[in-house]
Amino acid sequence: MAEGLAGRRVLVVEDEALVAMLLEAILEDMGCIPVGAIATVDEALAVVAEDALLDAALLDVNVAGRQVFPIAEALKARGVPFVFSTGYGEGGLPDEWRSHPVVQKPFSENAIREALMRAMGVEQA
Amino acid sequence: MRYRPRAEDFRIVQTLDQAIDFAAAFEASPNPYMLVTPDLRFAGMNAAFLAMVGATRDQLIGVRLFDLYDAGPGEEAPENLRQLRNSFDKVLATGERDHLALLDYAIPVVGPDGQMVHEDRHWSATNTPLFDDSGTLVFILQHATDITELVRVRRERETEPETSAMDMILGGGLIHRARAVQAANRKLEMERNRLVEMFMQAPGFVAILSGPNHVFQMYNTAYGELVGKRDLLGKSARDAVPEAASQGFFERLDTVFATGEAFQGRNSLVEIQRSPSGPPEVAWLDFIYQPVRDDDGRVVGIFVQGHDVTQTVLATERQKLMIGELNHRVKNTLATVQSIAMQTARSRPDPETFAESFQQRLLALSHTHDLLTRSYWEGADLRAILEHETAAHGPSRIALNGPPVALEPASALSFGMIFHELATNAAKYGALSSPGGRVFVDWSVANQADPRLHVIWRETGGPPVTVPKQRGFGSRLIERNIRHDLAGEAKLAYANDGLIAELSVPLSRGAQHNG
Repeated sequence: MAEGLAGRRVLVVEDEALVAMLLEAILEDMGCIPVGAIATVDEALAVVAEDALLDAALLDVNVAGRQVFPIAEALKARGVPFVFSTGYGEGGLPDEWRSHPVVQKPFSENAIREALMRAMGVEQA
Repeated sequence: MRYRPRAEDFRIVQTLDQAIDFAAAFEASPNPYMLVTPDLRFAGMNAAFLAMVGATRDQLIGVRLFDLYDAGPGEEAPENLRQLRNSFDKVLATGERDHLALLDYAIPVVGPDGQMVHEDRHWSATNTPLFDDSGTLVFILQHATDITELVRVRRERETEPETSAMDMILGGGLIHRARAVQAANRKLEMERNRLVEMFMQAPGFVAILSGPNHVFQMYNTAYGELVGKRDLLGKSARDAVPEAASQGFFERLDTVFATGEAFQGRNSLVEIQRSPSGPPEVAWLDFIYQPVRDDDGRVVGIFVQGHDVTQTVLATERQKLMIGELNHRVKNTLATVQSIAMQTARSRPDPETFAESFQQRLLALSHTHDLLTRSYWEGADLRAILEHETAAHGPSRIALNGPPVALEPASALSFGMIFHELATNAAKYGALSSPGGRVFVDWSVANQADPRLHVIWRETGGPPVTVPKQRGFGSRLIERNIRHDLAGEAKLAYANDGLIAELSVPLSRGAQHNG
């Protein structure tokens, strides 16, 4: 069902351990290889700079009191597709990112899969 | 008024001499004229005036009008004096001519025995403002006619019942009318004062702006407070509140003045100096600009009224922010609960044990929420969290020992889950699963400059310890929470005597971890 995502290395940026564990479990169920999870913007920036094999990323909009957009910029510059996750609803994203794929907390596996596929331009099965 | 008399004000007669025709005409006029400066000193007068009051020019020039002419000692004198002063004030405030149709005003004259006495006189007067080239009011010209004789004769005639042609000759009708007009004026003035009083005390701000430059003619206390109690009277809006330039207000006033159409502003943002020499502050105003028209329908000014809605706007914004933040927290908590449910389900596939495990984890989370709510989400004390999570197993079997440690909300939630997992594990497999087993929890804070919390959870007297074949959700949750959420370290040691968990976390980092 999610063949397009199998084996993909997906960076997880999420500051709450329990939520990070949930995302990892969901990604593993889809055949992805979770990278992280990373709990701070600075650490995530370092990973983005160093890890040349990232296929995609899941970014919590607010990590440890900071906004995640510097990571989004770095990923965009590298051409790595990504999906925002947020508890703030649709209005939680600034205008420049509003059309970007986003998943709402709490998550559904389907929503994460579809958002990742949309971001990566993978054909839906 | 802010007018300062200048030396040249007192040289009006010389000034007038230069324009020979006017000066001569002024001096020769049978009508009595006199000029006063804005601070009401005699600046000039003609021969007819001097003859009328029985004084010389030297006695008057430069002297305050009311020092010489104080309306005398009569009972009515204060009211009479007030009327005259009021007429001058009106001219100074409005820049427009004022009429006193009938003024009773005693003046000092030389009495029969050579002494100065006050003599009741009746006047009809006009006060006219004179402006210099720059538009500043420099003098008030008074044309006062002594109508005492007219009034006296009229009064004698009034004792006779029937009206006669004499009335007409003596101008009795005129005096009657003059009295009536003056009485009406007084009534109008009282009503005007009452209105002004109402404006002054109104809770909203009120101002009356005059002319195309919107000169402040009147403003109330609330308006004064809005602009840091500046002196606005007589100043144009642009001069009086310069920091409002480029915020669109003056252009609105211009438009209202030009078109005669009222303008209403709602929740209008303004940056304004609200204390003298203070920085501009943001305020929100509801207001209306209403054109004021004269008898011919021309717009002559603008009536401004409104109120400061800053507190309401700020409260609404705070509320929106709080609802947004609350929604965010609820959604995050739901994701946490979702995670607990999913991972509990993986380690406890049968519905009964799943329900029990899930429920206990949910309650652990809820307990910490309770503690945090008590402090309005400022934080919670480590011991209180430990007591909460271990209470079910009996305080006599668990020894808690350590100083008070205030934990940030995010840290408190993590420790709540961690201690719940440790206590549950101890009750199921560890020291609390056998009657003689005990748990010692000791903690300390090292390095006050960069404080670090060390917690040791030590179990003794339980059944023989076996290292679990695979790491369950509980131990993964402990390690992940410590490492990920708290940027600390966790060591779980399965000693022969019982489990020893050593947790070490930086306390300063907790503050960053509340996203």
